[in-house]
Amino acid sequence: MVLDKLRAPRGLRRKAVTLLTGLTFVIVAATGIAAFAAGFDIQVVGLHTLMGFVFILLVAFHLVNNRKPLLRYVRSKTLWGSLAVTAVMAIVVWRQPPAVKMLLSLSGNLGPAQERFQMSEDHMVFQYSPADDYKLALTVKTGPTYQLENPPQIAIWLENQGAYHIKTLLAPDKDKEGMLPYWAFKKKGWEQAKRKAEENNAKVDGVSSATPNGSFNPADYILPADPENSMPYKLLIEINQPGDAHGSLEDQPSLVYAVEIDNSLPRTFQVLDLAGYPQREQIDGQESWPLYYVNEEFGSALDLIDSALLTIERTPAGSVGTIQETGN
Amino acid sequence: MKKNPTDRRKFLQRSILGTAGAGLAIGSAYNTLVSAETQDNLQATSEDQVANEVDVLVVGGGTAGAIAAIQAGRAGVKTLLLERNSQLGGTTTTAGVAFPGLFDAWGKQIIAGIGWELVKACVDLDGGKLPDFAKVPQRHWHNQVHVNQFLYALLAEEMCEHAGVQIAYYEFPQKIVATADGWLVDCVGFGTQRRVICKQIIDCTGGAETVGMLNLPRLREEERQPGSMLFQLGDPHNPASGQLNRLYVHGADSTNSRTVTAANLTGRKAILQKVRQQKQRLMHMQPETGVRETYRIVGETIITVQDYTSGRLFEDAVCNAFYPVDLHTKSGVRPQPLKPGTVPTIPLRALIPKNSRNIMVAGRCISSDRLANSGLRVQASCMGMGQAAGVAASLAARDQTTPLEVPLVKIHEMLREHDAIVPGKV
Repeated sequence: MVLDKLRAPRGLRRKAVTLLTGLTFVIVAATGIAAFAAGFDIQVVGLHTLMGFVFILLVAFHLVNNRKPLLRYVRSKTLWGSLAVTAVMAIVVWRQPPAVKMLLSLSGNLGPAQERFQMSEDHMVFQYSPADDYKLALTVKTGPTYQLENPPQIAIWLENQGAYHIKTLLAPDKDKEGMLPYWAFKKKGWEQAKRKAEENNAKVDGVSSATPNGSFNPADYILPADPENSMPYKLLIEINQPGDAHGSLEDQPSLVYAVEIDNSLPRTFQVLDLAGYPQREQIDGQESWPLYYVNEEFGSALDLIDSALLTIERTPAGSVGTIQETGN
Repeated sequence: MKKNPTDRRKFLQRSILGTAGAGLAIGSAYNTLVSAETQDNLQATSEDQVANEVDVLVVGGGTAGAIAAIQAGRAGVKTLLLERNSQLGGTTTTAGVAFPGLFDAWGKQIIAGIGWELVKACVDLDGGKLPDFAKVPQRHWHNQVHVNQFLYALLAEEMCEHAGVQIAYYEFPQKIVATADGWLVDCVGFGTQRRVICKQIIDCTGGAETVGMLNLPRLREEERQPGSMLFQLGDPHNPASGQLNRLYVHGADSTNSRTVTAANLTGRKAILQKVRQQKQRLMHMQPETGVRETYRIVGETIITVQDYTSGRLFEDAVCNAFYPVDLHTKSGVRPQPLKPGTVPTIPLRALIPKNSRNIMVAGRCISSDRLANSGLRVQASCMGMGQAAGVAASLAARDQTTPLEVPLVKIHEMLREHDAIVPGKV
């Protein structure tokens, strides 16, 4: 038999291979857990992936070193049962039924990945499907001043009618949040409100009294129980290219684009409009970031985005599903 | 002094005989002409009968009417302003919607002129603050200007006085007859019967009541938008703060004294019920229900919602307008914002009843379909219309013609002279 003639390289004989396989597995397992629990981290995921390749190689040697018992397993009846169980598990996870999605949503890394963001040469697509019957896709076509090698910071989020942040769909890099002050301010307000609600041991809705007809629960807007009488919500983009001097501006401020989504008047396609640029104000010790209309001082910042198209595919009225909240 | 009933009878008989004596029918007032022998027509017979000969008669001293009258006065024509209530300002003062808007759109001021002058004077005197139009409003109403309703009424009166406008409170036209060069209008107030000879009428009654008296066509929906009654429970009323409580008065209609009475009774009953339920002190209550919708005229043109939402620049545009399509229903309101950059305009022909001469309207009765009207009816737009009507009527009176025949260039010129913004590209 060919297998009988196979040998692991000298120095990688049985004991060494077994130990290396075991230790590599520890690293793959630990980084796997870390990658699931925490947000995306290139070091963790990089370690996990590359050690995974090493693990595969070591497993191959391990199989060669243990070919005789392996062949016995292959000839046993247990093989087919094991294959069937493995296949079923793989198919279930691959197809991602609600239960699997729910498990994935618990992951700090994979949960947000359910809302997919894809970047290509001239456009980026952000997909968000809170339910099977509500598919949201935001296609942002980049403009002439968009630099692929030095891309601008972008945030995408939802706001309720009272202009309160209700859900971030795409956040900027952690260390660059300050470049998107409008989003950061809104999100901070939301987090404070949430904390306050938790301290008061109340539901988050309880702190939304400033907007009596507003709710902080994204589900109320995205998938309302009664679409006919639902409240409109807004999807916003804030984009900023750091260091983009223009005219008298040393660094053009970030720009905010917005669109209002009204489930009672459903539209499949909507284009985001330029809303303005944020400017910090301090009135009576209270910080705020109102938007101002863009004036003639702006230049290249206006060409970062060529257009932003929101597409929402909804199922017919009456068959609205349930939302799967994914954190944020 | 007790009024002699025979004097009133004589006055009414004289009015009728004056008309009939000219060989004209009495029943259909508008399609008749009298030879207006001014002296005969103006002769008063007792102290409760007064008479005026003016160039422009403005009926209704509300949002549009006060501005129209001030503009006509400033244009140098003799102007009389009739108001059925006790003060000027209408929706802003009597109904208490003391946050007129919108004067801006997309970062720029689009309505100015006399309305803005009055609002600004009111804010300045009250130590208030004007909105920064460069700032993007988070909600469509954020740039409405909060004014002290009491000051507003006082300043409107003062501006009328300075413009030489004569004000007649508690009066309303009872009969209107066309003359060769204008109108003969009999008005009634308590203890007052006034005969007015005028060249031009500007109907700023809200529901085009003067136009209705002339049997000119008007439109009214079977079910109208609810009115609003404003009051304050618990906290003291702080003028210009915009903190009044509001409740819908369904079926509110300003067509006549009976419908207004019904609306006020309904609104006040609801407030009383709230006071009892919430066990809070009633700190403030407006004297009248604010009405959103009654009649609209059928004008020389009708502004459709497509015209409105597309920001159509009419060739005879005299002012801008700006507000979402804002139709209130029993279940509330769902404003439909205008697309960025859109600024609707108001054509002169929408202020002129179809096939009429020497009469215009200004305010929410503008010729428009219902959805367009739901955006056009707001105060800043009505002020813009009022000023435009004041200019057109003044020029028509001065040139012995009808507003539709006044060259548009002259209207635009005078509007600019009086700081109004004439529509164009924003």
